[in-house]
Amino acid sequence: MSEQSTHTPAVGTSYIRTDLEGKVLGTAEYTADIALPNMLHARVLRSPHPHANILGIEIGSATKLDGVFDVLTPFNVPEGKVAPDVPILDSRVRFVGDEVAVVAAVDIDQAKAAIDLIDVCYEVLPFSTNVHDSLNSASFPIHSEGNLVNGGPLIESRGSIKEGFDQADYVVEDSFTTPDHHPASLEPRAALASWDGTRLTVWKPSRGIHADKNILASALGLSPNNIAVVGPAMGAGYGSKDETRTSVMAALLSIRTGRPVKLELDREEEFLAGRRRHSTYTEIKMGLKKDGTITAVHAKTIMDTGAYLSSGPGVVRRAGQGILYLYKCANVKYEGQLVYTNTPTAGSYRALGAPQGHFALESLSDKASEILNMDPLEFRFKNHVGPEGQPGERTTPRNQIIDTQPVEGGVPFSSNELRQCLKLGAEAIGWDRRDYIENAAGPIRRGIGMSMFIYRGGPGGQSNAEISLDQDGLFTLNVGFMDVGEGSSTVVIQMAADTLGIPPAMVRINGGHTDKTPESPMTAGSTLTFSAGHAAMQAAKDLKDAIINASLKLIGLGDSEGLYLTPNGVKSKCGESISFLDIVHNAGPIKTLASVTPGSKDYIVNSFGAHFAEIEVDTETGHIEIIKYIAVHDSGRIINPRLAEGQVRGGVSQMMGFTFLEDMEIDPHSGVALNASFLEHKSPTIMEYPEIEVIFADSIDPIGPFGAKSLGEPPCIAPAPTIANALYHATGVRINDLPLTPDSVLLAMKNLL
Amino acid sequence: MDSHLTSDRVDMDDNETTTKFIVNGREYSLKIDNRYTLLDILRDHLRLTGAKKGCDLGECGACTVLLDGKVVNSCQILAARIKDKDIRTVEGLSQNETLHPLQLAFIENDGGQCGYCTPGFIMAAYPLFESEEELSTEEIKLSLAGNLCRCNAYGSIIDSVAYALEIKTNE
Repeated sequence: MSEQSTHTPAVGTSYIRTDLEGKVLGTAEYTADIALPNMLHARVLRSPHPHANILGIEIGSATKLDGVFDVLTPFNVPEGKVAPDVPILDSRVRFVGDEVAVVAAVDIDQAKAAIDLIDVCYEVLPFSTNVHDSLNSASFPIHSEGNLVNGGPLIESRGSIKEGFDQADYVVEDSFTTPDHHPASLEPRAALASWDGTRLTVWKPSRGIHADKNILASALGLSPNNIAVVGPAMGAGYGSKDETRTSVMAALLSIRTGRPVKLELDREEEFLAGRRRHSTYTEIKMGLKKDGTITAVHAKTIMDTGAYLSSGPGVVRRAGQGILYLYKCANVKYEGQLVYTNTPTAGSYRALGAPQGHFALESLSDKASEILNMDPLEFRFKNHVGPEGQPGERTTPRNQIIDTQPVEGGVPFSSNELRQCLKLGAEAIGWDRRDYIENAAGPIRRGIGMSMFIYRGGPGGQSNAEISLDQDGLFTLNVGFMDVGEGSSTVVIQMAADTLGIPPAMVRINGGHTDKTPESPMTAGSTLTFSAGHAAMQAAKDLKDAIINASLKLIGLGDSEGLYLTPNGVKSKCGESISFLDIVHNAGPIKTLASVTPGSKDYIVNSFGAHFAEIEVDTETGHIEIIKYIAVHDSGRIINPRLAEGQVRGGVSQMMGFTFLEDMEIDPHSGVALNASFLEHKSPTIMEYPEIEVIFADSIDPIGPFGAKSLGEPPCIAPAPTIANALYHATGVRINDLPLTPDSVLLAMKNLL
Repeated sequence: MDSHLTSDRVDMDDNETTTKFIVNGREYSLKIDNRYTLLDILRDHLRLTGAKKGCDLGECGACTVLLDGKVVNSCQILAARIKDKDIRTVEGLSQNETLHPLQLAFIENDGGQCGYCTPGFIMAAYPLFESEEELSTEEIKLSLAGNLCRCNAYGSIIDSVAYALEIKTNE
């Protein structure tokens, strides 16, 4: 055994991101960078109306223009759907920017010129740009089912909130709003499609090439076997880059014209036709005993899903999870309504609804602690959910995997170091001095705030991985998931290498092409380290066994006992050895495929964390400066500390946009987006970047691969309530409506006087 | 230059001028449409796609290149302005197989996540690397304030540039 441990583990080291060299050289290829011979360029005509029926489209002059090859309209496309409520093109447009027609021409200028020649006859309909108007019974329905998705709220509950509130000595309640937060990834959506007469190839920024292949097949009525989806490098998406018409329109144009077609959205289009974080209105209420025990939590959230449903049902569910599960409580209820409006569509964006739900919950917790005259940190220590889980009875059958967003009680966590996170964060920020902060004369007020979170821990759907020992004596990991910049390929290589007992540099990764990779879950829900990690580990274990078996005969031993892998090949305890090259030359390349559905039937796998901030508020300008920011995470064992730290620092800074700056504004009179550009939709720049200290709790999850849990999305959950709570501590002003702009701070301070 | 990329273009003779310029040390003389920007010329005509089109409005910095040594958003430079100019793009930084110290620093410090902003940041940092002055973190940040990174990898970007400057000083 001791000889086998001569391998230096890669897990736990900051192995360099595998795809970074191409990115610094400028050679990494993104979708828009790819050009094919005879390629046409496409451009979309977008609706100027927030809500209208298209009665007719005159495309004659456009098609006659030199260099124009095709024009798609709602009246000449097949009937397939891109999503259940999104046809390829629709004779009803539902927001300013919705797709009306698409032109393919020899170059983009001709395509634009043709767009100008299309004449559309619209029947303008009444519209609504906010959820309250949409829910008004007199409001015009945006979809045939009405403006409230499913005709009622999603309801999740445990115990009885009536009993819970009856037991309460105090009830604290409030309402909170969060803005339309746009991911605005730097790479706008793009798609390149090429139809060769029998088979379609589509290049697109993708977080799930296999899922995208199925969407294209169903929309276009093609067999999935006749489609290949290629995922080049992706200029990020943070969960948002799917479910749109872009790739389907490019594909259809290519099929009709017989030429490759590229469709690149411009920046304004990315803002309008992309996906934003759902804005929310939440009413939340908490019952408390005098000793600080929480007797009930009840929240109602209304979410604006915009013109189409997208991943709204998942988002509205996830917004409730903190409310249902972060605090130990027998009686909880969450009601989530999803409402259509005539605005750009909301969808998946890093951590889905969790930041919105936690903003309400963690702001209210601070209020609760104040009523109890209890320190906010002590309130969390007293009430946070512990390793044993929630009170109540398990409802999941014993032979089924426990959901990562459970409602039931009676199920423990596989690991829960939330308490450790609270302790480490309190120490790092210096919570002890919080009550003794003295402000100098002048306008600056200093404050310290914190909040905590719970999030799904990584188990996702079925995941496959294939790994091989190749002719050159090196290894190839063949996987169908997409690394969208978070570094999943690097950490999966580290885990596979350690399982085999070889250096990670001997493992290449091959991905990004549906023809060449086994199916894998989407890069969603922070699942890859966990799900793809387990699949890669299983495939690597099987490969190791296969290699050892193959070398038995070659070495001339009868028993695999005592054989192990080294960077040079297979070795035996007695000193016999054979190189990987010799193995493949004699036995041929060896390949294994593993399929796993990770998760646990006995435990909830969740990640946790607590964030702390010290801020200075200028009471004359309303400006908030972050002096110190501490992010403590329980993500199980950290596979790659540098990448993990980068995820946390980036996630926190990204959410400073949500906290302080970003809100996509829609003019209520016209439905027009007022700030669909980087200049007007202000985002954090390097100047706003605060020092962020990242601390990982000492935690090894028994279910996770190498003890790891999720990390990609969790950093985004706590920043907003942490800052809002610090603002309250600094000034006595509690702002329930994000973003915390200087204007809103000044106005709130004025109202306080 | 890939001829197939322009062969289909609709005849725009009236707008075209033959322009001479240098990119990454190589001289070009091209008949180019005056409406096009330096970014379009780099990406579509020369197939140098390291500079990215993040906004086409000069707001994000993803298309940053050097024009006679000065940092510019190439999407804001019209073709008419590149006559006789010396242009350097991210593709011109490495020499043969050897990476530029700035590129190495970005790898060592994990200065990129999705990587879409990375070429722009590296080119924006280039004059800092060439400068003889000793720069504070605040000065580094100011010099990079025109470049957006939506992954918000700003911490690692600052680390990368500071590391490159330090390595240079110690050499």
